[in-house]
Amino acid sequence: MNALEIKGLTKDYGSFRLQGLDLTLPSGCILGLIGENGAGKSTTIKLILDMIHRDGGTITLLGRDNREQLQLTKQDLGVVLDDVGIPGCLTARQVGNVMAHTFDRWDPALYREYLQRFFLPEAKPFRTFSRGMQMKLGIAVALSHHPKLLILDEATAGLDPVVREEVLDIFNEFTRDESHAVLISSHIVTDLEKICDYIAILHQGKLLCCEEKDALLERFGLVQCSQEQLAQLPAGAVQGQRSSPYGVRALVLRQLVPPELHISPVNLEELFVFLVKERV
Amino acid sequence: MKGLLLKDLYMAASYCRSFLLLVVVFLAVSFFGDDSLFFIVYPTLIASIIPVTLISYDERDSWTQCSGTLPYSRGQLVSVKYLIGLLFGCVSLVLSLIASVVRMQLRHSFSLEELCFLASALLVLGVLGPGLLLPFIFKFGAEKGRIVFFVMVGFLCVISIVAAGLGVQTALPAMGYTWTLAVVAAVAAALYALSWMLSIRFYEKREL
Repeated sequence: MNALEIKGLTKDYGSFRLQGLDLTLPSGCILGLIGENGAGKSTTIKLILDMIHRDGGTITLLGRDNREQLQLTKQDLGVVLDDVGIPGCLTARQVGNVMAHTFDRWDPALYREYLQRFFLPEAKPFRTFSRGMQMKLGIAVALSHHPKLLILDEATAGLDPVVREEVLDIFNEFTRDESHAVLISSHIVTDLEKICDYIAILHQGKLLCCEEKDALLERFGLVQCSQEQLAQLPAGAVQGQRSSPYGVRALVLRQLVPPELHISPVNLEELFVFLVKERV
Repeated sequence: MKGLLLKDLYMAASYCRSFLLLVVVFLAVSFFGDDSLFFIVYPTLIASIIPVTLISYDERDSWTQCSGTLPYSRGQLVSVKYLIGLLFGCVSLVLSLIASVVRMQLRHSFSLEELCFLASALLVLGVLGPGLLLPFIFKFGAEKGRIVFFVMVGFLCVISIVAAGLGVQTALPAMGYTWTLAVVAAVAAALYALSWMLSIRFYEKREL
């Protein structure tokens, strides 16, 4: 079963338009949503949660249209938004009490375990927490009711590298259960490269690609050559290029490039920058 | 819904502590003050704006977005503010009436008519503010909603001046004070219910 299926999703703000978005997240997998600021990542997440109203398309969340019995579906969702949104005066203990009356499957022991694991004080108000601590509390809340789908909008932002690593391990652990899935958007592309099974790249409201990470990285490669060599490549081979006094560095489709030209592997960050900024 | 109520009670205990202290002080002062009803009426006015104050804090803390991710309907998110308004409104109304009875007893001037009049006035004051303000806030957000509310208040002032000119205030006592209280209570309940329904409708359409 797919945890999330989006078909032809459209949202028009006038100055910004999310256009015909198609995404599929199979259960047991992690899908990373990459895009520059304003690309439409948060808009997509808000549309999935029906916090904003779509203009077209369909969204199927855990097997149900996201407008049908959404309250019931949300019992199975763990969500962390860019701005965690917990009231500043509440302590972690009070947040736990509120959530215990919110989620049917709230697990207070698991919540306390996460608070200890993240070194979060139970009795201090949320507003006294650093950005990283606030994010960690948001993640603890999202995980403590045994959700099936985690939806994370920039949830690793503000975390120090050690905690980020730990949080990424938790997300990885989470998807070991085949009925679980994670949708994560992040600017920190290296994080997504570490944990994601699928990658979707958004640019100015349009989906540039959505496919398995390994297949995506195998499909593309980087070549370093002269402008003349580049001009001899077949049409469509070059997907992005950056010129410098030392020649041209280009993102290419491996299968269209002759074998005599050396192709080096591309990482996700380079792929993203080439597709968004240096696209030809 | 219990979770939402609990969260608002925690917030009220934290942010509105000074309000609650003020209520107690004002009511205590009313025992010994002059004949002015200000000290008895003011706590109800304070209580009536608690839901609005909580919504402002919700928006500042981005709770408005966070609550949209939780398993609550838009109706529940709106209803909790009306329930908090009712809770604090009723508590302050009862406290004000008790304070008023104590005040009358201290002066040996107990009057059921005066008590009914006071109850009517408190009901109107307690319901009118949030009843009119909340739908605007749920439609436009706390900041814009307040501006629209002030325009509405200006409009209502004009209506009340016109009503005074038509002699409405002399018609009410003619009905008898207990009847006046009953009518005012019914109108207040209807207004609050209408405001509640309108707010749910507005909030269901609002994008978070």
